[in-house]
Amino acid sequence: MKHWMLASISALSLLAASGARAEDIDFKGKLGSYPSGTLKVISESDPYVDAIKATKDGFTGLTGAKVDVDAYGYDALHEKELLGCSQSDSTYDVMLIDGIWIGEFVEAGCLDPAEDRIAKEDPKLIAWNDYTPSGAGQATWEDKRYCLPVAIYYEMLFYRTDLFDKAGRNPPKTFDEVKEAAKFFTNNKDFPGVSGYAMNNQRGAAAGQQYFEWIFNAGGSPWKSNVVGAKDAYADMTPTLTSPESVALVQFFKDMTKFGPPGVEAYAWDERANAFAAGKLAMINDWSVRAQIANDPKSSQIAGKFASALMPSVSGKPVPPVGGWVMCLNAHGKQKDMAWNFMKWFASPQVHKQYTMAGGTASRVSTLQDPEVQAKFPWTKTIDESQKTAWTEVRPRVTGTFQLIDTVGVDVNKAIIGELTPQAAMDDANAKVTDMLKTSGLMK
Amino acid sequence: MPAQATLGRAYPVRPARRTFLRANGFQQAAMMLPTCLFLVFLTIYPFVYSVYLSLHQVKLTTLNRAVFVGLRNYTNLLTDGLFLHALRNTAVLAVCSITLEILIGFAAAKVFFELSRWRFVVVLRSLYLLPMMATPLIVGMIAAYVFNPTIGIVNYLIELLGGTPVSWFGEPTTAMAAMVLINVWQWSPFMMLLTLAALTSIRDDLYEAARVDGAKWYHLVWYIEIPSVLNVVLLGAILRIIDVLRFFDVVYVTTRGGPGDATMVVTLYAYLQDFQFFQVGVGSAAAVLILGISIVVTTFAVKLLRVVEDA
Repeated sequence: MKHWMLASISALSLLAASGARAEDIDFKGKLGSYPSGTLKVISESDPYVDAIKATKDGFTGLTGAKVDVDAYGYDALHEKELLGCSQSDSTYDVMLIDGIWIGEFVEAGCLDPAEDRIAKEDPKLIAWNDYTPSGAGQATWEDKRYCLPVAIYYEMLFYRTDLFDKAGRNPPKTFDEVKEAAKFFTNNKDFPGVSGYAMNNQRGAAAGQQYFEWIFNAGGSPWKSNVVGAKDAYADMTPTLTSPESVALVQFFKDMTKFGPPGVEAYAWDERANAFAAGKLAMINDWSVRAQIANDPKSSQIAGKFASALMPSVSGKPVPPVGGWVMCLNAHGKQKDMAWNFMKWFASPQVHKQYTMAGGTASRVSTLQDPEVQAKFPWTKTIDESQKTAWTEVRPRVTGTFQLIDTVGVDVNKAIIGELTPQAAMDDANAKVTDMLKTSGLMK
Repeated sequence: MPAQATLGRAYPVRPARRTFLRANGFQQAAMMLPTCLFLVFLTIYPFVYSVYLSLHQVKLTTLNRAVFVGLRNYTNLLTDGLFLHALRNTAVLAVCSITLEILIGFAAAKVFFELSRWRFVVVLRSLYLLPMMATPLIVGMIAAYVFNPTIGIVNYLIELLGGTPVSWFGEPTTAMAAMVLINVWQWSPFMMLLTLAALTSIRDDLYEAARVDGAKWYHLVWYIEIPSVLNVVLLGAILRIIDVLRFFDVVYVTTRGGPGDATMVVTLYAYLQDFQFFQVGVGSAAAVLILGISIVVTTFAVKLLRVVEDA
C-alpha cells in the first residue's frame, strides 16, 4: 500500500513537472541570430547585477550575441544615463533605471516605449500579470508600459535571529516596538559590540529616500493627492511635509540615532548593510536585494543568522515601500531588435527564476511563491507578503524627483544632526519643495 | 654706404631678410590658427555658452525648452542660503588648510634642510611627497576608511589613547575639521617642497655672518629664513587658493556636503545643480560666479605677492 502510494505521488510529481515544463517557452529560433553581435547593458551595482551576469550567457547560447554588463553606483548611473541620453549616445542598448526615474527619462526622450513590442509578443512570454502590481507600476508611466520590471525591491525589516532568540523577543511591528527593541540591544552587556538600529541618515538622497519610504508607515503622505490606492497620485502635488505625522516621523529618525553605532548620522545604504553584515547591528530596514549582502558567508559574519519581517509602521499595518530597477530600451540605441529580444528573454518567467536562483531579485509573483526560491532565500516569503500591500507611488516618480528627494533629505539630515528642529526642518523642506514644484510646473 | 661703427672693422648693414614667413601674412595666420582654434573652441566657446545657459531656466535633458530669465539665476544664487553657505565653507577651508599647510610645510622643510647631509633623507623626502601624487578621488576614498567611525584607524588610535570615538562625518564641526586635515595631509608636502627649495637657495655666508654676530637658531629663522622663503610661500599659497576653489572629489566621496550643509563647497554645489539635478542654468550661473571669484581672489593675491617682492 505504502509503495503504491509512493509510486502514485512520484507519478503525479512527474506529471506536474512535465506540465511545468510545457509552460516553459522554447526560445530556439525566436530571438534572432547575432553571431558577431555584442549587446551592452548598463545597470546599477546592487547585488542583483551579479545574477544578471550569471544568467546572461544563456542569451549568447541562443543567439550568439555577447552580452556586456557595466555597473555603476546609484548617482553615477543616473548621471551617466541621462548625460548619454542628452548626447543621443547609443553605447548602451539596454538601460536599467530606478522606477522613480521613469518620469524624468520619458520626458527627456531616453526610452522607447515597450507597449507596441509587448502587444506583438506571446502573452505567456511577457506574462505581465505575473509581475507584482507595484513592480509593474514602476515600469509604467502615464498608463504606458516603457520597460520590463526585472529587479523589484521591497523595503523590509531585517533582524538578527541569534540575538532575538537569545533575548526571547519577537521582531518589532510598530515604531514604538522598533524603538524599544533598538534601545534594548544598544549598550547591552549581554550583546557586546552590537547597536540596536541604523537608518539612512546621510545628507541628501539617503535621508530623503528614507523619508519617503517611511512616511506612509508613519500614517502620513508626502503630498495631498498621494494616498494609498489613489487613481491619480499626482493630481495635486501640494506638499504635506509639515503634517504632524511628518514632523513626528523626523523626530523618530532623530531619536533612533541614539541606538546606532558612532557616526550613524552619516550612514547611507552601504554603511548600514556593511555594519549589519559585520554583526554590529541588531536590526536594519533595507531593500530586499540587500539581504544577499548579509547572506554571503564570504563577507558576512551573520550569514544564516538573520531573518526578515514586514516594514514597521505606527499602526502595525505596513505600507511596504517598493523600488528597484526596470529594464528599458535606449531610445538612441542602434540594435533595438536585439536589445528587445534580450529583454523579453531575460524577463520571461523561466529565465527570471534562473536569475532569482542566482541571487537576483524576484519580481514576479510566480517566482516569489516558488517553493525552490523560498527554500533557498527564506526572505522571499516576506517579499511576497510585502508586495500584497505595497504602494507604487511611495517615492515621487515625476521629473525632478532626484532634486526633490535630495532637498527633503538635506532638511531631514539637518533635523537628525540637531541643526534644526524637526518642525523647522520640515517647514523649510515644505517651502523649498513647493517652490521647486511651482517652478517646474508640477504644482499651480 | 651706411656703415655700422664696430670695433675695428666696419660692416655694411644688411636689411633684415624678408623671409617667406614674414612676407606671408597668410602663413603667419595659418601658424596661429591651431592655437586660436584651441582657444575659441575649448575655452572661449564653452565660457560663452556657460554664460548663455546661465541666463536661462533650462535642464540638460530638455535643452530645447530653455526659457530666458535674464539675471534671475544670479540673483537667486546670491540670495540662496546654500550657495552662500558653500562660499563661506570654501573660504574657511582655504584659510584653515593653507595656514596649516604653510606651517607644517615650513617645519617639514626645515627638518629635511637640517638633515640634508643625512644619507637616507632623499628616501624620506620622497615618501613625504607621496600624498601629493595621489589623485584627489583616491585620497577621498582613503579618507572615508581612515575616518570611518567604526572601522577607521583614527578612532582606533583615539580609543587606544583612552578617548571616545568621534563621529567624524556625522557632526558639522568634525566633518569640516576632517576636510581640513585631509587637505593638510595631502598638500603640506607641496608647501614643504617649495619652502625647501627656497631654504636651499639661501647663501651660507648669511648664516655664517649671523652666527658670528651671535645669532641664535630662532634669529636665523626669523631674520634670514622666513624673509627668504616668503615670496615662494606666497606663490604656493596662491596656487593652493586656486586649488581649494576647485576642491571637490574628497567632499563628494566622503560627506556629499553634509552633515547638513557643513561641508558644502562651491564646486559640489555647481556639480549637484549640473549633473545631479541637471539644472544647467543654475549650475552655469554658479560656475560663472565661481570663476569671477577666482579671478578676483587670485588677482588680489598676485598684487600682494608683488608688494612683498618689492618690499
